[in-house]
Amino acid sequence: MDAFVQPGFWVFVLALAGIYGIFALGLQIQYGVGGIMNFGHVGMMAVSGYTIAVLVIKYQWSFWWAAFVGVVLAALLGALLGLTTLRLSGDYFAIASIAFAEITRYWILNTDSVTGGTQGTLAIPNPLGFGGYTNQPDLILTWISDRLYPIVGDEASRDMSMIFIVWPFLFLFIWIASKLQQTSWARVLRATREDDDVPRSLGKNVFRFRLQTLVIGSVFGGIAGVFWALQFALLAPEDFLRIVTFYGWMILILAGATRVKGLIIASIFFGFLYGSTRFLEFWPLSLLSSPERAYLRVFLIGFVIILLMLKRPQGLFGKRQEMVLE
Amino acid sequence: MENLASASSTNLDNSSPDFAILDVRNISVSFGGVRPVQDVSFKISENSFTSVIGPNGAGKTSLFNLISGMNKVSAGEIIFRQQAIQAIHPHKIAQKGLIRTFQGAKIIKRLTVAENLMMAVQGNPGDNLSGFLRIRARRDFEAQARAEAMRRLDQVGLTKFADEYAGILSGGQRKLLDLSRALMAKPSLLLLDEPFAGVNPTLVEKLIMVLGELRKEKSMTFLLIEHDLETVMNISDRVIVMADGKIIADGLPGAIYENEVVIDAYLGSRRKEIK
Ligand SMILES: Nc1ncnc2c1ncn2[C@@H]1O[C@H](COP(=O)(O)OP(=O)(O)O)[C@@H](O)[C@H]1O
Ligand SMILES: [Mg+2]
Repeated sequence: MDAFVQPGFWVFVLALAGIYGIFALGLQIQYGVGGIMNFGHVGMMAVSGYTIAVLVIKYQWSFWWAAFVGVVLAALLGALLGLTTLRLSGDYFAIASIAFAEITRYWILNTDSVTGGTQGTLAIPNPLGFGGYTNQPDLILTWISDRLYPIVGDEASRDMSMIFIVWPFLFLFIWIASKLQQTSWARVLRATREDDDVPRSLGKNVFRFRLQTLVIGSVFGGIAGVFWALQFALLAPEDFLRIVTFYGWMILILAGATRVKGLIIASIFFGFLYGSTRFLEFWPLSLLSSPERAYLRVFLIGFVIILLMLKRPQGLFGKRQEMVLE
Repeated sequence: MENLASASSTNLDNSSPDFAILDVRNISVSFGGVRPVQDVSFKISENSFTSVIGPNGAGKTSLFNLISGMNKVSAGEIIFRQQAIQAIHPHKIAQKGLIRTFQGAKIIKRLTVAENLMMAVQGNPGDNLSGFLRIRARRDFEAQARAEAMRRLDQVGLTKFADEYAGILSGGQRKLLDLSRALMAKPSLLLLDEPFAGVNPTLVEKLIMVLGELRKEKSMTFLLIEHDLETVMNISDRVIVMADGKIIADGLPGAIYENEVVIDAYLGSRRKEIK
């Protein structure tokens, strides 16, 4: 249990929370505002993460351009998903979106020449050969670490630097998202999550609104992928399993789908849950092997989602009234 | 069709195309074996008030679904202001000024009452993402929309619910909201599907006055589905009677009321009720 009092643990939790907070924000706009159940969100993160890795490693692109292209591709993937399947009704779209993300992952898995394939890991190298970038981002991280060193001493780390990069973006995006959600555009979108006929009969192109929402959410998924690549520098297809989408959903449900403000606390809670499963080494869990213990995380997160749906469907911060109106 | 239409056509014949805001030509629809609307034709002249009556299942709502584009015709044409609209998307039709309400009042439960109204206003720059940065334009538009919404709410006595979720409204109140929302869109032709059912009679009278004013001042045209014959006789200058997917009579309210075919098919028992 000592692990929980280590600052390093909390630093990791916060870095992770920031990345997944941005990831979940994409889902929040799609589902919380637009009622779109996207269960393939991980695909957007995978696409941008891999795009960055491939462009930086194989083609020596600058990180920033690679990141830009990665996010654009994630947006295009969102548009493609929408154009092909968004006309399906809610539940069918949800299923199609899972399939879509799986296709993305299998494509990554089987395109050895580009992505590393099944053996999978693409390491984004630093001059020493692993775990880092050769250019600007690493310099920025190092620069931040250097500034932190006098303050926190040996605790200064790459994770800690990441916090200073990711969190400002998370706050910025939450601010933009909340502004967006005050527009009449979002009002129409909120109407579409209940009913298509009313907005249509009032001159609103429901499909356009949904498609735009899906693309905006995918951009956030793509941006999360950028930070993911920056944080982990090692990419393997098994990083982008379906469950990752549900990490985002857990944050969303915890936060209360219709409110952006709960997202921060919910992300930190998720980060804690995610990070802490590494430390579940005490009896009786110590009887499990370490890969088995890794699965505990999945169980635990599934359990939390179910518990929330049963006990607090509106999330910790949502309004219950909004859930029960008939 | 019964000959009544031609009998009364001296007053009603607006078949001169210049005056027809809506021209429905031989439209039909079928869903599998069901044919709710069969070869229906009529014209609606600008600034008129026409009621559609008929027994349950006659195809009245189906007719509205076709005109508003929510269902597509299997055959026939619908001309709105000299433009064929039978094949275009419902939102495009609405943008042209043809607005409909729904039987049983569809409201958005998880928007506030005021928001329900405000979303109906046409031409809102904030409805487009490209308008996101036009903060001033958006704010001004919203302020105006809100003010107009409050006026509409005052008219139907719902002011105190403005900022409540519409989901808390009663059935009758939902009808009022649905009607007010349609009016917010400033339609040139408004299709109303049983808007007064379940609304208290005093308020119905008031709403009829409001519609009358809109007709006079804004030159609006109305097509109304209504079961209450007293209301129909009061408000309309023409009545179309439907049964089994067809128009069985079309004419002045008084003439319809005396029409044998209509009495047999529909009015029979109802006439007694009223008398
Ligand atoms: N989408 C549909 N699919 C199958 N049948 C329909 C559909 N819409 C309407 N109908 C049928 O058309 C008939 C007319 O219904 P409707 O237009 O609602 O009548 P009214 O409004 O005059 O009471 C009914 O028998 C109804 O079941
Ligand atoms: Mg009906």
